[in-house]
Amino acid sequence: MELQGLPMTETKTAPGLFKRNPPIAGEAEAIERAKAGDAEAFSKLYALHKRRVYTLCLRMLGNVSEAEDMTQEAFLHLFRKIGSFRGESAFSTWLHRLTVNLVLMHLRKKGLQLVSLEETINPSEEDSPKRDFGSRDTQLAGSVDRVALERAVAALPPGYRMVFVLHDVEGFEHNEIAVMLECSTGNSKSQLHKARLKLRELLRESEPTAQTDLKEAAL
Amino acid sequence: MTLNNSRSAPLSCAEFQEQLPDLFAAGGNSSIEDPQIAEHLKSCENCSALVRDLQYIADQAKQLLKPTHEPSDNVWKKIQEGLAADPSYAAGPGES
Repeated sequence: MELQGLPMTETKTAPGLFKRNPPIAGEAEAIERAKAGDAEAFSKLYALHKRRVYTLCLRMLGNVSEAEDMTQEAFLHLFRKIGSFRGESAFSTWLHRLTVNLVLMHLRKKGLQLVSLEETINPSEEDSPKRDFGSRDTQLAGSVDRVALERAVAALPPGYRMVFVLHDVEGFEHNEIAVMLECSTGNSKSQLHKARLKLRELLRESEPTAQTDLKEAAL
Repeated sequence: MTLNNSRSAPLSCAEFQEQLPDLFAAGGNSSIEDPQIAEHLKSCENCSALVRDLQYIADQAKQLLKPTHEPSDNVWKKIQEGLAADPSYAAGPGES
């Protein structure tokens, strides 16, 4: 099977991805053994990577059952294609790219538009981030923990969430995302910016009452 | 990053914020070359706080790369079933 936007031979990795995905102890040996058909080695690769693949699927799909199905698909696909992995990029980067493309293909089959043109040009009042031309407020820096950020990302509209997860979390470049999502690079940049604006809004709303107190004190 | 116009009038907040997607894509604060953009960022407290917040969010996102969720044991069981049912399993993994 040829995945859309993903030639199953290895592609050149985006700069920085090796740094973000350093090799794991015992991984290289397991890959070579798995290539030779060693079932135990494949089991080891699953144990090493299942959490990251599943977390990626869950973030992209927002649904446990679908995320488990796609995790299963990703590892079955991995087994079939592992012979084409040459080690020119980090194994996890290669596996994540494979997973992302399987998930996107799954979403396309469901008829979902991955980057909503509507959302880009004419965002709904409810979903669109508010412009920030005048108001002053306290800063987010230092106040956001991982749980709050995870919750805010889950609350993003799907189009924004997809680009944010691919770019800011997974480290893909805009030109790669544009190919994956079949949109322009400009559209990817714009969606990412809107996603961050929306996150800022969500994170500010979820902050403790300190800001409210400050605003009230200023009145 | 350079703004594509030759005006020397100060930028409004709206004009500045329109440049932000490209500014961040080019590398954020460190990539600002346009004097109008740099001047606005220096003089506007609100836009400067916005840029700091957006940069902070992008930086914090990296910590989400570390996985937090675990698939159920059922996933591995189904993978094993899938492999057993795959004719190529007995012959070893594919190359294409």
